[in-house]
Amino acid sequence: MVVLSAARWVRSRLSDRFWRVQEVLKYARHFRGRKNRCYKLAVRSVRRAFVKSTKARREKKRFLRALWITRIEAASLEHGLKYPAFISNLAKSQVELNRKVLADLAIYEPKTFKSLAALAQRRRQEGFLAALGDGKEPEGIFSRIVHQHY
Amino acid sequence: RYVRQLQRLQLLFSPTAADARGARQFVEEAAQDFARQHPDVVLYVSPHSGPGPAPVLRAEYLNGTVRDELIASKTSEEIVQLATKLANQSGLDIIRIRKPFHTDNPSVQGQWHPLTNKPSILTVQGPRLQPQ
Repeated sequence: MVVLSAARWVRSRLSDRFWRVQEVLKYARHFRGRKNRCYKLAVRSVRRAFVKSTKARREKKRFLRALWITRIEAASLEHGLKYPAFISNLAKSQVELNRKVLADLAIYEPKTFKSLAALAQRRRQEGFLAALGDGKEPEGIFSRIVHQHY
Repeated sequence: RYVRQLQRLQLLFSPTAADARGARQFVEEAAQDFARQHPDVVLYVSPHSGPGPAPVLRAEYLNGTVRDELIASKTSEEIVQLATKLANQSGLDIIRIRKPFHTDNPSVQGQWHPLTNKPSILTVQGPRLQPQ
């Protein structure tokens, strides 16, 4: 920068430093220790917090799915079925309910979940009969597939 | 039937301040059209003389929330856009909603508790049935 005369060049100084600092500190208020008060420490902590929250959105989906699976496993064990048997037999009976809905049903609608477990159990028995007792017995009722033509 | 959640819009500005120029132009040109287009919103124009706080557009909603928007150094068209945005909002706070759904009656069959799937012999106490 060409300085023609030093007296003409007025140095401009920040007047809203307080608000610029508050913009960062407002996201650090619930932190522990000096990083909720001191700007220099808070800047680093807030940036790391934002980065972690962005990355955690992908983990949240995995975490919630694992939680649903745990709950469905617990509920189906109450009815005498293990989780892999329950899920596979429901899928074979063309019941397309996802794990989120199944977990909510297990919590808030226990009778519906009991009937779903009974359905899976029946389909499992029919599967065993079809595989082991090959021969003249008729096919199971719940093993019939409904074909949708779109 | 649609009920507009915006109750009143207060335009607080000073008639002599330099940054309230857009507010003054809005009042002269576009305020009447805005008021005619939104008949269920009351528009108050309150100029305070002399140097005072920055020009502000205050929106009050039916659920009591008051929202202030700075209109310093904004053109008349920008103020019109801001006012229409406030008129189309509801007064709920603008925060992250945790769940996109809500029910008052989540359970129809009765929420699960540890004794739902246990035989009722455990809990029933009657003249003939004794708990184990």
